[in-house]
Formats: sequence, C-alpha cells, structure tokens
Amino acid sequence: MSNKTTIALLGQPNAGKSTLFNALTGMNQHVGNWPGKTVEKKEGSFTHNKKEYAIADLPGSYSLTANSDEEVITRDFIASGNADVVCILADSSQLERSLFMLADYAGITVPCFLLLNMADIAKEKGKNIDVKALEDKLKIPVVLLSANNKKEYKSFYEALEKAVTNKTCLDSSRLEDAYSNLEGYNELKAMIPEGVISNYSSSWIASKALENDSVVLAKLENTMSADDYKKVDDIRNAVQGAVLTGGAKFAWIDEILSGAVDSKKENVSLGKLDRIYTHKFLGKPAVILTILLGLIMSFIPAIPIMGVGMAFGSLRVPVAEALTSIGAPDVIISLLCNVVIQSLAFICQMLGFVFGVTLIFGMLEEIGIMARVSYVFDNTMAKLGLQGKSVMPFLVSFGCTMGGTAGSRVIENWGQKVLTIALAWAVPCGAAWSVVPMLSTIFFGNGVFVVIVAILITMLLHMWITAKIFGRGLVNAENKYGMIMELPPYHKPKWGALFRYVLGRTKDTFLRVVTVVMLVCVVFWLLSYSFVEGSEPILFRIGTAIEPVTKFFGMSWELFMAFIASSVGKEGALGVIGALYNGQNFSGAFYEAMGGGGVAENLNELLAANVSKPQALAFIFAITFNMPCVVALASTYQEIHSAKWTAKIAIYYTVVALILAMIAYHVGLLIW
Amino acid sequence: MRLAELNENKEAVVSALSGDNRFISRITSIGLTPGCKLSVVKNDKNRPILVYSRDTMIALNRKECEGIEVTEVKE
Ligand SMILES: Nc1nc2c(ncn2[C@@H]2O[C@H](COP(=O)(O)OP(=O)(O)OP(=O)(O)O)[C@@H](O)[C@H]2O)c(=O)[nH]1
Repeated sequence: MSNKTTIALLGQPNAGKSTLFNALTGMNQHVGNWPGKTVEKKEGSFTHNKKEYAIADLPGSYSLTANSDEEVITRDFIASGNADVVCILADSSQLERSLFMLADYAGITVPCFLLLNMADIAKEKGKNIDVKALEDKLKIPVVLLSANNKKEYKSFYEALEKAVTNKTCLDSSRLEDAYSNLEGYNELKAMIPEGVISNYSSSWIASKALENDSVVLAKLENTMSADDYKKVDDIRNAVQGAVLTGGAKFAWIDEILSGAVDSKKENVSLGKLDRIYTHKFLGKPAVILTILLGLIMSFIPAIPIMGVGMAFGSLRVPVAEALTSIGAPDVIISLLCNVVIQSLAFICQMLGFVFGVTLIFGMLEEIGIMARVSYVFDNTMAKLGLQGKSVMPFLVSFGCTMGGTAGSRVIENWGQKVLTIALAWAVPCGAAWSVVPMLSTIFFGNGVFVVIVAILITMLLHMWITAKIFGRGLVNAENKYGMIMELPPYHKPKWGALFRYVLGRTKDTFLRVVTVVMLVCVVFWLLSYSFVEGSEPILFRIGTAIEPVTKFFGMSWELFMAFIASSVGKEGALGVIGALYNGQNFSGAFYEAMGGGGVAENLNELLAANVSKPQALAFIFAITFNMPCVVALASTYQEIHSAKWTAKIAIYYTVVALILAMIAYHVGLLIW
Repeated sequence: MRLAELNENKEAVVSALSGDNRFISRITSIGLTPGCKLSVVKNDKNRPILVYSRDTMIALNRKECEGIEVTEVKE
C-alpha cells in the first residue's frame, strides 16, 4: 500500500463516478462492504506512467453532512488520511447544483482536484466553461472531460499528477468570508480549536455544527467543557443553520462561476418519452411494458450462452456410457456426471440469462430509464421501504430469480438491494410455473386457477411480511424518507464500456457461483448416494426417521425428500417424487429431471394413489415458496457479498415454506 | 404558499424551508435554498412532484416537500 497513491472519488449521484471508476480500473476492482456497515465498498487500482494508484469510490449522496452511514464513512475515510488526493466530480451541464459537493468539501485540508464531467453535454447545451479561470479561483487543478470517452483521459492524469505532486488544496477563504456574515458562525468558530478532527479545519467544523451535524456535535460535546458546549447548543438552536450555510455555499458557487461560465437560457419541458412515463395513467403500464420488453430482449444475448450450457449438459449421458464401458466405478461416474457436468450445465444456462439481464438493464440504467421507473413506483415501493427501481427485479424474478438478483445491481443502496433480493425470492420463478400448474391440474382439475390466485395472494402477503421482518435490519431511517432525487437527462449508452463491464461481472459471478453451487451439490449428492450396494442413502434414512414431524407439515417422507431436492432445483422435485413412489433410485431421477429429462410416465397415477389433496396442496405451497434454487442462492451471495445475510434469507425461506405448507395442509383438511 | 399548491408550469421562488435536520440538509444539497427559482413541471396526485431548478429536474416526494414554502412569480 505504502508506495501506492490513493485517490478517493467524491461526487453527487449521477456525476459519473462509476463511469470514471470503471474506465480507470477495468477488471482490477473489488466490491465488498465497509467493515461492520451495510454500505458497499468499491476499490480498484490502476497504473499510469509506471506509478501505481489505488482508487476508492466513496459512498455518499448529495452532501457531506452526516445524515447516514454513507456520509460518515466518507468523512472518516478522509479524516483517517487514507486518501492522498480526493477527486471531486461535478456535472458540467448542471454546474451550479453539482458544485455543491465542492462547496461542502471546502475547509477539508486533504489535497484535491476538480473533475467537470459530461463535457459533451455541456457543449451541446451551449455552455462555455473557462477551466483556467476556475483553476485561478479555486487554486486546484480543474479538468473538463467526458468520462465515457477514454481518449480524453490524458488531461485527467495530468491533473491527478499535479494535485499529488503539489498537494493542491482548495482555496476556501471566500466561502469562509461568506460564512462569517452568518449569524452565530463567528462565535462558534472562535470556540472550536484547530485539530478537533484531523484534516478538517475549524471553519469546516463550525459550519457543520451550525448545520446541526450530529457527528460533529457529538465530537464537540466530548472535547469541550459542558459550559462551552451549552453555548454551542444555544447558538445553533437560535438559527436555521443549514439553510444559512446552504445559501452561503450557493452564493460562493455563483461567485466562482460568474465570468467563468456562460450559458444560453434554455426552456424546460419534458420530452415525449417523459411525458408518457410521468403520465398519470399511462406511467405505470409504460414502465411495466418497458421492463417486460427488457426481459424479452435479455434473451437475445442469453440464448447463445444458454445453448452452450445445454450442449455441455447433453455430454452427461455419453460420458457416463464411456466411463461405464471402461469399467470406471459407479461413484466416480455419478459424481462426475451428476454433480460436475450437471451443475456446470445448469449454471451456464442461468448465467446466460444473468448476462442478458445485466446488459439490458444496465443499459436502461445508463440511458436514465431506471430513474423514471423509480419516480413512477416511488409511492408503491416506499410502502415496503424500497425505492421504485425495486419493481424491476420483482418482475424479472417471474422468469428467473437469478436474473432478478442480477437486476438488483441498479439499486445503489446496499440495504435496499438486499431487501429487494430477499423479497424477489418470494416471486415464483419460471421453474415453479412449470411445475405448479401441472401438479395442481393433476389434483384439482379446473381448481388450478384458484390455486394460482391463492399463490399470487400469498406471494404479496409474503413480501409484505418479509419486508417488515428484514426491513428493520437493512433499511435505515434515512432511506425510509421519501424521494428527493434528480431525474437525470437521457444519455446515449456506451455499448463498448458497458459490454466490457458486464462481461467482467459475469465472469465474477461465474467464479463465485461455481464454488457455492458445487459445494451444495456435492453435499446433496453425498447425502443421496447409496455408497454400499443395497443400503439406503443418508437422506432417505433421515427422511423416514423424521416423518412424524414432516407429517405435521402435511408431507410424507417422499414429499419431504422432494421438497429438499426442490431447494437445489425445482425441476428436479417431480423426478424425485416419481422415483420414490416407484421405489427407484431417487438421486438418479433427480438429475434426470434437472437435465430436462421427462418425469415418470405414470406420475399421475402414482400421485393420485399415494398423495391426498391436502398433502398435495401443502407440497405445492412448500416448493413454490421454498428457496428458488441453488444457483439463485449463489448469485444472491455474489450480489450482496455477505454470507451472513445470504444464510439468513435461505433459512428464513425454508422455514416459511414449511409454515405455509402447514397452513395449506390444515386448510386443505378443512375443505376435503 | 406551499410548493404542492403550485400548478404545473408555474414559476416560483423558494421563500422558506422547515423540517427536521435531515430534510433541510437534503433539500439544500440538491439546490433548493431560499431565494432559488424553480418551475413546476409536473404535479399529479400520488406521484412525486417534478420541479426544475438550477438546470436540474428534481423529483420530490409529496410528503417531504410540505416543508417548502414558495412565492409565485407572475410573468
Ligand atoms: N454524455 C455523457 N454521459 C456520461 C458521461 N459520464 C457519465 N455519463 C453517463 O451518466 C450517467 C451517470 O453516470 P454514473 O457513472 O452512473 O454516475 P455515478 O456518479 O456513479 O452515479 P451513481 O451511480 O448514482 O452514484 C451514466 O448513464 C453514464 O453513462 C459523460 O462524460 N458524457
């Protein structure tokens, strides 16, 4: 670390931080969580002119005031001295507003430089920006560029090197002059010694105290005498500090910009597309239609990859035959064909879909459409503690939960992302839809429609309750407030950069998913394989032993085995039932069914003879609301990178599925 | 008057803000400070209000923006 220069990125949402970060680091990035916090941490590295740089994307929203964990993390990172230089981003097409972050930074003594992004849009809008004049006023390097055009990065590297070598500090004297005209500021500043928080000037701390910043106030309370702190309290309580300093900051920005920027006055109106999206009645249908179209489009890039997976899966039979012919032991054949080939084929097919979803919805995010989705569904989703964008992963999950999980990537807030995924699991996926109607028809004939409606109602209730249970730990008060958000202008997507990024993420997903899936599949295989000729596998013994308990949930041991198998893959559940009631080897049948093979031909009669209607209902609910599949589990882990929360969600779903089964069973007993 | 009482396509100047610390901090950091000009682009029930200010289209939850007082600017 020591000889690396560390850059921290700071900027309001949509300033282009991710674009810059991805362009600089390429594949050399790592996403994790800040220690002990529900906030995502993005780090990466790059080399320029033989010098190594580490780069951290600081979380945080529109300002540096401690409203939530994000801002506190950002401030602590700067205070800790971890950053050698801070790159502050602003949107040059909306300079006045987006320079607020710069104004909020003024008074921090870590070297910095200013990056005015979206040069292309500013030019289009007829804005002329005099970079030299800005540099003279701010005393730091200023670069004007388009972050989505890597060719323009020369000036970025120059500014970076200049800032690092000269340790350029932002000149905040004019802002302090403006502050000193505010009621209470001078008295406060006089009371605050330098060095209360390292790297933050007393003037910065005074302004934050005036703004009622809770962390700064707590710090002052600890360092000051009770009498002095009482005075601080009296001063800040007498004024509306944040309104005053906010005014001063914008006045400072105006002063900086005057003479350095000239622009044409433009008329505001919504474009054609926005008139539809924001329409009172058309908005919601338009958004749903857009998402469904996106879902369909996701299949275009997905199909070739899925094809590869399927082709790979069809190797299972010939490989098994070849191995048998050379006399390989059955254990090896089963492990290789049923676990390794089968899982890889399954993963490949799912990954194709993930690739498509990430690409298409990544593009919709880039264009700015996801922000419109947020706007339209804000009211509805806020009831669950989520943002409007969460509606997309929910809809995608009707196709495939893994796709929904991948789609949740567009949700910036980590806690809301985890909650979205946790709720998306309750949405029955394509595999459930292929099994459930068939089973229901066998038992209930035309009653299948009633069952489906009951499932959909249960889904909504499930999501609502799950949101209440998980929301507490995941979504903090800050995010429960209503939306105050910029609706960004539409951008043309950059396919090249997006494609590279998605490819990288898919590779990442693949590596992590393979580990988890293999692990689970091997365990499942160990439990279900008969190692000694004629003896029953472990799972069989456990199943029969605990039948008295599972009976309570309305499941015979055969059904319970199938339920367990359905957490690996729902398609396999029917294979397991068929085999068990036929008295065959169920693990073989499971893999057969997962590989797209048919189920037992006499399945109808088998079920009718062995399973009562209430039991069937219980089973249908159990597998519908069980963990979607092992690949969804793995991709959830990949997306939220928290083993703890992944395990919590998985256990919760298994338990809830059993509870729902029990309810369904007892309701069934009342009816039949 | 309150921001939400303003009709679509009307212009106004923010006159006062009230609310808890978090609200004040959020609303000033997105650029809506007293004295700042804005125009209402969309104001439908059950949807966030859309206002345009400082070159930016901003979506505001209805409940949140009860704390924004404005004075209408007549052309
Ligand atoms: N035309 C143009 N578009 C850009 C430029 N830089 C970024 N964009 C686009 O602006 C949008 C926002 O950029 P992001 O990089 O996602 O912004 P961010 O700051 O990371 O925003 P959050 O993810 O909300 O924190 C994306 O659609 C980018 O493709 C640029 O220089 N010119």
